[in-house]
Amino acid sequence: MITLANVLFKWHTKQPEPTINISKLDIDQGEHVFLHGPSGCGKSTLLSLLAGVTIPNQGRIELLNKAINELSNSQRDRFRADHIGYIFQNFNLLPYLSPIENVTLGCQFSKQRQTNALKNSATLAAEASRLLSALGLNDSLQHQAVAQLSIGQQQRVAAARAFIGSPEIIIADEPTSALDTQNRQAFVKLLFEQASAANSTLVFVSHDETLQTLFTRSISLVELQGGTHATR
Amino acid sequence: MLLVKLAVKSLLNRKASALLTLFTIAISVMLLMSIERVRVDAKSSFSNTISGTDLIVGARTGDIQLLLSSVFRIGHANNGVSWKSYQYITGQRGVKWAIPMSLGDSHKGLAVLGTNKDYFEHYRFAKKQPLSFSQGHEFNHLFEVVLGAEVANTLGYQLGDEVVIAHGMGNTSFHNHDDNPFKVVGILKATGTPVDKTLHIPLAAIDEIHGGHAHQHQPAQADANDHDHDHDHDHDHDHDHDHDQHDDVDLVGTPKQITAFLLGFDSPLYTLQVRRNINQYKDEALLAIMPGVTLRELWEMLSIVEKILLLFSIVVVLISLLGMLTSLLSSLNQRRRELAILRSVGARPWHIFTLISVESLLITGLGCIVGTSLFYALMLLGADYLQSHAGISLNIALLSSYELMLLAAIMVAGFIVGLIPATRAYFYSLADGMSIKI
Repeated sequence: MITLANVLFKWHTKQPEPTINISKLDIDQGEHVFLHGPSGCGKSTLLSLLAGVTIPNQGRIELLNKAINELSNSQRDRFRADHIGYIFQNFNLLPYLSPIENVTLGCQFSKQRQTNALKNSATLAAEASRLLSALGLNDSLQHQAVAQLSIGQQQRVAAARAFIGSPEIIIADEPTSALDTQNRQAFVKLLFEQASAANSTLVFVSHDETLQTLFTRSISLVELQGGTHATR
Repeated sequence: MLLVKLAVKSLLNRKASALLTLFTIAISVMLLMSIERVRVDAKSSFSNTISGTDLIVGARTGDIQLLLSSVFRIGHANNGVSWKSYQYITGQRGVKWAIPMSLGDSHKGLAVLGTNKDYFEHYRFAKKQPLSFSQGHEFNHLFEVVLGAEVANTLGYQLGDEVVIAHGMGNTSFHNHDDNPFKVVGILKATGTPVDKTLHIPLAAIDEIHGGHAHQHQPAQADANDHDHDHDHDHDHDHDHDHDQHDDVDLVGTPKQITAFLLGFDSPLYTLQVRRNINQYKDEALLAIMPGVTLRELWEMLSIVEKILLLFSIVVVLISLLGMLTSLLSSLNQRRRELAILRSVGARPWHIFTLISVESLLITGLGCIVGTSLFYALMLLGADYLQSHAGISLNIALLSSYELMLLAAIMVAGFIVGLIPATRAYFYSLADGMSIKI
């Protein structure tokens, strides 16, 4: 499903130590993986690699059995639009769109995800509404201005945007850092529910190890890099 | 479509700065369009004012001054041409027709022109178009008046109305002749020239206004004897142009002097020779000008001003587009997060590029639309003023192909300017990817 082999990445060629140096990583379909590590250990860089925004200097990254490091820029963009849902740390939403519009945006750039979304509901807006309700955002909030939502509510909208059209891979980059402990756990559980429902692979990145217990699998990025990684 | 929708919503989210930018562009568009419309219309107004006249003769002043006072009714001719000289010159070989013009009187601020019937027959404007009547006919009696289209329109006169002519120019004349009402017998069709703003009366009537005969004459209808007399002359008139001044004795009279006169020749070959003769005429200091040549001189004099105006308005458009560039570029930094989010949901860099380009096109396009509306509003408000103060008749018509081309040029310029932030955003989105660096 997700396979990294001998991946080496440097931001600058003169960098003495690579930011990412992973000899082997396998994640199966449907797995919910907790990826943790201290700040600056290369988490964001790894996510950029997984999302195909950046490509490794060496090695091979396979997503859905496709070597995305061999794809062209536009092919990777298309691949990301079709197969990856991405949740940012915070300030995730376009302020000028309603929650519903923010969610449907998740499948506007991909035919495949539109098709998937329309399998569940008659219209994209209806599917967005369904997902938002499932994530605990009730109807009255779904058409409000994004700025009037709380951070927790905004994060649910962002999650719904990642899930719409059932992408195979969901990448969540510290999505709970702005939430309090109570809400964090609830939010993670909601993510699990939706990921399981769509049979999506969830890669969840956080430095907050208290969440670790909720996941079936936990990976320390420091250990993954063989402990050789120099802290930036 | 999605990108257009996103661009619109994103712009609405930044209403204040977007509206300001839009207004700057709108105002610059209005300015450019107005200046161009006035320029083009002024040019056609000028060159359409008189045609078919070979020479304009008046007392010796500057060429342009004579043209302005005789044709445009702007300024005053200080001296006139003596009737003796008029008769001598019009009696020369080759003169086909002559139109005496006596100016200086007014009715409610509009010029009164004393002339003969040749005026209605031989005066030409625009592309040698003759004057024609929308109602009524030319004057046949002393106290009859033919109105220009605008005179009838603005003052609401109809055939049969009586009009009082005042001595001197200006609205409040100190010397109203209530005992000399003129009867409206004809209204001319609109020409878009100063003719529209002129009241035409027989030349002899000018003398009547000024002279001491005022009390001897009754209003036209009552003047039964004159009636028959005039009709006879009317018939002769058409066949015998060369001797108008003798034929229309009642209407032309024998004034001491007139302001100027127009000449038409049997052949244009006479023009230069007669002109030289007039300019060297010993008994009186006279000046003969060829209207076409002097019009062109006048226009060339004005064209420097006009070119400077054009230059300024183009600069204003450029500044407004630079304003748009500034606001788009400065907003771009704040929008890197927005671009990253779009990238994360699968927007490709060219989507980002298009998005920003569409924004600049929207602003420029709306600016053009608003600017054009403002331009029409300004034209509607300013047309009367320009008409009455500068003699420029504005054509409040649909946009000409030239103006559409100007708008298109502004759109293209706006698009090109918009490419700068779009390219910048394109590279941002390539470099930033989805990591948000703010």
